[in-house]
Amino acid sequence: MPYRHLKAIASQFEFALTALAVDARGQLHAGGDRAVEVYDGDGRRVGRWAASRQVCSLTVAADGTVYVGEERQIEIFSGAGQIVRTLRHPKLAGRVTSLGFSGDDLLAGDTWDRAIQRFDRTGTFLNSIGKDNPVNGLLIPNGAVDFAVALNRTIFAANPGKHRVERYSPAGGLLGHCGRFDGRDPAGFTGCCNPTNVAIGGALFTTEKAGPRVKAYDFDGRLLGVLATDLFDPNCKNMDVAVSPAGAGPERVYVADTVRRTIQVFEAVNS
Amino acid sequence: MSADITRRDVLTTAVRGTVLAVMGGGAGFLVKKANGQIVWQVDAARCVNSRLGETGVAACSLCTTECVVPLSAVRAVNEYAKCGRCNICPAYFDVTSPVDQHGYPSVKLCPRDAILRHPIGKLDPEDPANNFYEYLIDETKCDGCGKCVMQCKDPLGLGSITLRVRYDKCVNCNRCAISTACPQSAVVQLPAGHAV
Repeated sequence: MPYRHLKAIASQFEFALTALAVDARGQLHAGGDRAVEVYDGDGRRVGRWAASRQVCSLTVAADGTVYVGEERQIEIFSGAGQIVRTLRHPKLAGRVTSLGFSGDDLLAGDTWDRAIQRFDRTGTFLNSIGKDNPVNGLLIPNGAVDFAVALNRTIFAANPGKHRVERYSPAGGLLGHCGRFDGRDPAGFTGCCNPTNVAIGGALFTTEKAGPRVKAYDFDGRLLGVLATDLFDPNCKNMDVAVSPAGAGPERVYVADTVRRTIQVFEAVNS
Repeated sequence: MSADITRRDVLTTAVRGTVLAVMGGGAGFLVKKANGQIVWQVDAARCVNSRLGETGVAACSLCTTECVVPLSAVRAVNEYAKCGRCNICPAYFDVTSPVDQHGYPSVKLCPRDAILRHPIGKLDPEDPANNFYEYLIDETKCDGCGKCVMQCKDPLGLGSITLRVRYDKCVNCNRCAISTACPQSAVVQLPAGHAV
């Protein structure tokens, strides 16, 4: 297994830890309750600011701007936590449970439409991703849309109701998928609806609920290993996962324990 | 005149009043119960099968084993407004069983095969994952064992299946045997208007 458990970071959130993202400098941003917290590489809290609504997701742009997904809106903050603007759009009708960038375009996972909505930098809607199928969207009985964007702009979206991770082009074309149901073989996804969350780094990382599990796959869908199961509260679900940027030391994988409101940190081990 | 009233008189009057009040309340309760205005019901927030936070434990089947009614007056009920209509429902399939040639769990969860699974709308023959499914509970088979309830609840499922007393089967015992046995005190008496 090329990853080891490094440490746990206790957040200050009182009710919910819902979102994780790592900026270009390797600082970890965590979202929960109605707030964003920032941690340095050693896990020390170096910042905290309030959001206007329950934080459902967040991402950090290359310039350090922090985008926070909430119910029916995205709040955009400076890296110091000053509100810059709020993006509202009819295509953001539910909770925004995932955010990311594809080049200059902003991608937002919307639970109402069960899809990823693509906007340009000005906030103009471009297209939906994940809706062109017979069930008119991603199957999310778990109540969260989650995705990650590869360097080549391919979008990896969790489709938990189908027990798959699907690959999409920014224009919304389905490029392929990996994953299958299996309640015994750890290479498969168990339960009614897994994986719930995905992240991309040196591998494709997934998290599952009931029981909680973090796994790494190669980009062809072959299981590389299970990072952890017993570290998490068994009632965890929709555990967000984030990966440190390439070139900033050994790769780190951050996973939210949504019940204990702690962040479990894993580090790549040179093999 | 007030000097003639002794402490004994006061105490006697108070005790008589209390006894009459209790008897009156008890009689009122029995009249309401006899009229079907007081009923037994399962409190889903107390029942270990549906109570959140109870994971990794076996389902409790006291509603099946203790009820005096054949099969039990308690049945599993699927609340469709909450159901995810999943392709692989953990209350229908034993999700820990080996996968069959179609990619589904090979064993059903219900020991009495009391849950029926039907696709909704037009089937996609090329990709069965592109379908929603309706899960119907056959109450002529269900004995309220609670296995499906335990598997349906959050975080594994959405908690759409709960155990409920069916009033066409319940004989409304004065001392419900399930209530007496339930360690969670999850079978409670309610005014009929408050029962689900």
